[in-house]
Amino acid sequence: MKKAFALLLALLMTAALLTACAEPAATVADLPEPALLVTDEVPEPEPEAEPVELIVFAAASMTEAMNEIAALYKDVAPDVTIVYNFDSSGTLKTQIEEGAECDLFISAGQKQMNQLDISADAAVNTDGLDFVLAGSRFDLVRNKVVMIVPEGTDLGITAFADVLGEGVRLIALGNSDVPAGQYAEEVYTSLGLWEELVASGKVSYGSNVKEVLEQVASAAVDCGVVYSTDAATASGVTVAAEAPEGSHGPIVYPAAVLNISKNQAAAEAFAEFLRSDACAAVFESIGFSIPERQNR
Amino acid sequence: MDWFPLWNSLRIAGISTLLSFFSGILLAYYVAKTPRIVKGVLDCLFTLPMVLPPTVVGFFLLRTIGAKGPIGAPLLRWFDLRLTMVWFSAIFATAIVTFPLMYRTARGAFEAFDENLAFAGQTLGLSNRYVFWRIRIPCCRQGILAGTVLAFARALGEYGATSMVAGYIPGRTATIATSVYQLWREGNDALAYRWVLINLAISFVVLVAVNLLEKRYRENKPARARAAKEPVC
Repeated sequence: MKKAFALLLALLMTAALLTACAEPAATVADLPEPALLVTDEVPEPEPEAEPVELIVFAAASMTEAMNEIAALYKDVAPDVTIVYNFDSSGTLKTQIEEGAECDLFISAGQKQMNQLDISADAAVNTDGLDFVLAGSRFDLVRNKVVMIVPEGTDLGITAFADVLGEGVRLIALGNSDVPAGQYAEEVYTSLGLWEELVASGKVSYGSNVKEVLEQVASAAVDCGVVYSTDAATASGVTVAAEAPEGSHGPIVYPAAVLNISKNQAAAEAFAEFLRSDACAAVFESIGFSIPERQNR
Repeated sequence: MDWFPLWNSLRIAGISTLLSFFSGILLAYYVAKTPRIVKGVLDCLFTLPMVLPPTVVGFFLLRTIGAKGPIGAPLLRWFDLRLTMVWFSAIFATAIVTFPLMYRTARGAFEAFDENLAFAGQTLGLSNRYVFWRIRIPCCRQGILAGTVLAFARALGEYGATSMVAGYIPGRTATIATSVYQLWREGNDALAYRWVLINLAISFVVLVAVNLLEKRYRENKPARARAAKEPVC
């Protein structure tokens, strides 16, 4: 009985192994080569011509937009599969630094991209990291920060400064490694309230902007500062206040192909697609704004 | 240096170990007496938090005691009592996660107990409570102590569920584990290292103390047992 079971198990495992190895042969056979629209940019010349997998690291606030764009890109380049890693830009930058595989990086702040760009100011790129492919960096979209409250609550928050009032117990912000947290700090510093806010013990630090969003949506905190795009796409939150004019630097999301990319041409093709009108429409529908076209 | 995380971690670990200690021992005792099928089901249920990833535990807790959850919402509305994002939120998380450790080791100790000693006590007319606290527990002391140490260590090191349920509020809910994560994220390696060393030191001290206790207990067992009028087991 035991022997029969062991034999059966062994047979099953061998069968599984064989089917796993057999797959690539099947997919290579039905690749429709001439029908591709981006033929000259996808690395087809390789003898095996496997489908390309692009790994894109993008700031958490881009989740909805990038997922829509991946669906659009499937029509443009069917053999390119996009794999996303959404997280705070600081976390992504650290992952890249520690050797993660990545073809394209979209950060929610210039700081994180600068820290990977050898051509950036050495004061920001203190470790002298060189991950950005020269000439591939561009500004993708712009965003704004807003103060959100859980839907249905009424604590009378109408401005950023109201957080220091009596009725507000907790405010969720991104930590100093999260661009959304950095912008929130800029807003409060420009209002002259940052030190007081930190000393009040009301701040709960989240490790990325989606965590902040979740804490507000589940009413675990009284309010939070996130991007206007997050507030627009999330349910369970309402925008209570917008950041005052000039209280923070322009929120620009830079994107760049990385020089460690194993699919450089495909990554550049995708980056080109991101600047197309189709994608601009997607970004604008979520609430991003498109910076003026720069020299490409 | 802000020493709050140390104080907070120790009190959370201490309180949740206490909770796990009593609930683990009592439940282990009662479950050991139940019929086989019931015992199996209860065993699975009580061991579950140990097997689940802490984030799963954290997720369930958030959906239950969170401000919009079935338990959290009424408490917030009627008593203005928040269960998440306060210092004792972590206790929910750590107590749930450490309970199985205490429970299992206590069960193991109780199963290995020689029931004849309990019977002997009963023939002498001793009450059930006396038999439990003065005969059963002393004999199972090793297992229970081991379980307590494991529970304390686990509570001290709990991160996933704690971070989800209590968040990171410096001065209010920061523990050593969540502080190290935040400091690493902010690039403050020096301070992160300090906390790591403090945590190592605490763990080391606890384990050494437990080892010494065990050694002393083992060395003087017969004489001490006789002197304390406890069974030699």
